Amino acid sequence: MIRRPKHDLPVIPTANLVDIAILLIIFYMACSNFLTATTGKIVPPKAPDLVTVEEPLVIVSIDQEGNVSLQGREAGGVAVLESALTDLLRDKTTDKTRTVMFKCDATVSREVYQPVLDAIVQAGGLILAVGEKQ
Amino acid sequence: MRKKFQYRQLNQDAVPTTSLADMMFLLLIFFIMTTTLTKTTGFVTDIPSGTKGQANTQDKTPTVVLHDDKITVNDTQSMGMGELRQYIAGLRLDQRQGEGKVVIVSAEGRVPYQTYYETLAMVQNAGGMVAIVTEEEGK
Repeated sequence: MIRRPKHDLPVIPTANLVDIAILLIIFYMACSNFLTATTGKIVPPKAPDLVTVEEPLVIVSIDQEGNVSLQGREAGGVAVLESALTDLLRDKTTDKTRTVMFKCDATVSREVYQPVLDAIVQAGGLILAVGEKQ
Repeated sequence: MRKKFQYRQLNQDAVPTTSLADMMFLLLIFFIMTTTLTKTTGFVTDIPSGTKGQANTQDKTPTVVLHDDKITVNDTQSMGMGELRQYIAGLRLDQRQGEGKVVIVSAEGRVPYQTYYETLAMVQNAGGMVAIVTEEEGK
């Protein structure tokens, strides 16, 4: 009786694949910032000597079209923005909690950004002006 | 010869984990697609606000006015961005105390945010404090 030699097919070990996936998920959950929703495209201004800062919870942004948004939603006018910011920053006493991230497109003109900056100041917020290092 | 198949009884108490890998990969794809690993850069500033009338009463406070085509300092000197940087560095704002640190920055016309931002960053990095000027209603 002739015995045929056994030729096992090569097997890729996949038992540990789930563990690797879980580790990657934990990594992404720990290290990521979610993309903040904005109404349009924003090209940030550039300046030298900018520092890395921690992102605050309140975000005001102005896109290329001049649309002002608060927390990713259309703000609907400066007066409404100021009122909403005042409500959001009420009872916030520390510098960290009353910081408002201000993202504005570099090409936006003064008539648009100046009232928004003033609204943040009047609402009692500290301004974190976001830009890119030159 | 007929083979006899023996069916093993499945353990009903075991948690089914066969689809765990699929769920993990779905989550992984979600996180890869929705996250940004870039750090936010900028500067934090506590801006005191005032009106033009208030600004005029403060004689000694340096005032930078950004126009469409030029920059004026204290209503007289006209300069470019490089000269403004030298002027602000020369003020030695980091060595001053209290209101001496304040620089009033005002924009006129259709000055883009890029110019305004650069000026604010310049004052902030020099150790100063920016005060913005807003025009009163009807003026």
